[in-house]
Amino acid sequence: MSQSKLLSLPDDPRFLDMAYFEQGALPEEVRNLDSLKPEERETAIKFWQAVKSDFRFNEYLRGCLNCGVCTSGCPAAKFYDYGPREMIQYMMRDAVDKIWEFTNKKVWACVQCFTCSMRCPFNNEIAGLIMLLREYAVQFALPSAKEILAPYRRVLYTVMTLGNQVTPDMIQPEAFPDWGPQAVEESKNMDVYRKAIPVDLMQRTDVGWQPSLQTAVEMMTIMIESGVMDSIKKVDPDLYDMVMDIYEDRKAQLEEIKEKWQKGELNEDELPDSWLDL
Amino acid sequence: MSEQEQVDKKLQEELQNAFPMADTVDWNEVYQRIIYRYSTPHGLQHVKEELYKLEDKGEIIVHHIKPYNNPVKMQSLNGIPKTIPTDKLWNHKSCGQCGHIPGYPTSVFWMMNKMEIDYLDEPHQTSCTGWNYHASGASNPVALAGVYVRNMWRAYETGYFPLIHCGTSFGHYKEVRNTIILHKEIREKLRPIMRKLNMDIVVPEEVVHYSEWLYTMSKKAAQQKKYDLSNVKAAVHTPCHVYKLVPEDTIYDPEVWQGRRPAAPSGTVQNFGAKLVDYSTWWDCCGFGFRHILTEREFSRSFALFKKVIPAVEEAHADVFVTSDTGCVTTLDKSQWAGKAHGFNYNLPVLADAQFAAIAMGADPYTIAQIHWHATDVEGFLRKIGVPVDDYKEKFIQYLSDLREGKAQPQYLYTPHRKIDFYISVPERVKWYKKDVPK
Repeated sequence: MSQSKLLSLPDDPRFLDMAYFEQGALPEEVRNLDSLKPEERETAIKFWQAVKSDFRFNEYLRGCLNCGVCTSGCPAAKFYDYGPREMIQYMMRDAVDKIWEFTNKKVWACVQCFTCSMRCPFNNEIAGLIMLLREYAVQFALPSAKEILAPYRRVLYTVMTLGNQVTPDMIQPEAFPDWGPQAVEESKNMDVYRKAIPVDLMQRTDVGWQPSLQTAVEMMTIMIESGVMDSIKKVDPDLYDMVMDIYEDRKAQLEEIKEKWQKGELNEDELPDSWLDL
Repeated sequence: MSEQEQVDKKLQEELQNAFPMADTVDWNEVYQRIIYRYSTPHGLQHVKEELYKLEDKGEIIVHHIKPYNNPVKMQSLNGIPKTIPTDKLWNHKSCGQCGHIPGYPTSVFWMMNKMEIDYLDEPHQTSCTGWNYHASGASNPVALAGVYVRNMWRAYETGYFPLIHCGTSFGHYKEVRNTIILHKEIREKLRPIMRKLNMDIVVPEEVVHYSEWLYTMSKKAAQQKKYDLSNVKAAVHTPCHVYKLVPEDTIYDPEVWQGRRPAAPSGTVQNFGAKLVDYSTWWDCCGFGFRHILTEREFSRSFALFKKVIPAVEEAHADVFVTSDTGCVTTLDKSQWAGKAHGFNYNLPVLADAQFAAIAMGADPYTIAQIHWHATDVEGFLRKIGVPVDDYKEKFIQYLSDLREGKAQPQYLYTPHRKIDFYISVPERVKWYKKDVPK
């Protein structure tokens, strides 16, 4: 290799690491953005700055030996074109374009088992870093987040309104054919199977256990006040409207019942067995 | 200058030459960096110290484990004691268990009844929302902390100590607790939200998983064992969120795998007299994936089968797979059926440690352990240990048909709640639950 080629190395963006001492850290704006579409560049930079300025970032990212222990134990890496080491390396280098690319696809492959975090010799909280990227992907309403959340809508609805993740009646033969004939049998006779569970909270088919009306309203209040509903509004405005309508109705019902109860005017017999039937 | 002074001067010069930057280095900063780099992100000892400091300052309320909780001291990963309350427990149910593996919580309640343990199960609880968070990212630290503290407040006002049923809730709550304790900005954002709900920030002294409780109780529980399990080869899958998420805060015991793997649920299986068998992928994930089990199950199925079920059968000749979390029971159990299409007909029964223990203690496999919700051949396994499955089944089918026709009323493990309990949380509800006041 000629002397001139060696000397030109620091100018080549692929060798920025080697050029670090000569150049210092390059501002993010000029770093490796060529591979991004011009319209994506601004969001990509803003996204990465938001992730980096999160209070958890410095606590979770401590350094990297590039040893690959994280990826070697990773279940998702065995099935997908994905690896946690890759992500950490991009983060260590402030590689905005690579992080953008990673967030828009690969980050959703992680199964959140935390094997990488437990094994990392540098004590990086790697699965936590993945969650940071996912959280901000939803907050920025990135296309990948929208795509991922689309089939997940019903679950989000249940979480936000009832505080339950899943419902017994979501196991329908056409949606879960791979769960075998037993699941089909249950879905056909769900009513009676649920009634045969010896706990009154668990006898409905449309919710895992029945929370009280007050609990559901409190849960929705937390989601609204903490800004979760604001980020859902950006990703799925219809779902946002639906949940907010339900919140208003239930809040009003709760206040009415509470008031009557406090005054001693509440006739319990007039209430339906479950507020879900109100 | 005396000879000694000359020697000292020479020594200083040599030191200066050897370590030219020694004077300018801030050694305290170096120590801090070392502590930072080589400690875990949430050192348990540190978190506990901070917890009590915040309590002293009046910033948070700590829900202490009281003598009436019959506490038992166990050991966490690094030898720091972890106190496990064993009585007067507030059950924090799991959404996935109640939804799809109802025999899981009912087995826990049944065992509590059998061992005469005082407990509460209330409608004033939400799930931890951790499943949603890890699947979709559609949440944030303040919301997660709010959900945690709201549930913990409900437990605190009853005086019963929270026992977390779900592995993810357990791991997730440990993390959320650490965030609340270590980050002032989170507490500051959380407090006005909790005030709006007429609550304050409550943090229990320990986050306790039911499998830790069950392990702590297992020797006592095994005294009531009805079936001999000595011929059973049980493979154990320890749930990732129980011991990899905030790893320090999980119990270990020298009696179980020489203290090199988490004590629960392996220790429970061992104490019930079954033979623990080992397989090479014992540490691996089950393939649940949070998002994957709902919307990308080809991954979950393949992973569960190839990385867990097949090694457990081929290497360890397991008769049963015992685990202790919602997601793991679901994934390992439901993922085997589709394998038949490709000739992988393993049909290894999968049970939660609670179901395993309850059945061994003589619980009805249908009305209590609810094994009919499982996809794998649990009945075959029960026949092997001598449970009269067919008699139980006949009775259960009759019960179902009576329920359908209205000839039978549902049976309950504890007195059903009043109607008002499904609407609002009445402050004196515990008195009613515990029959201190007339109906």
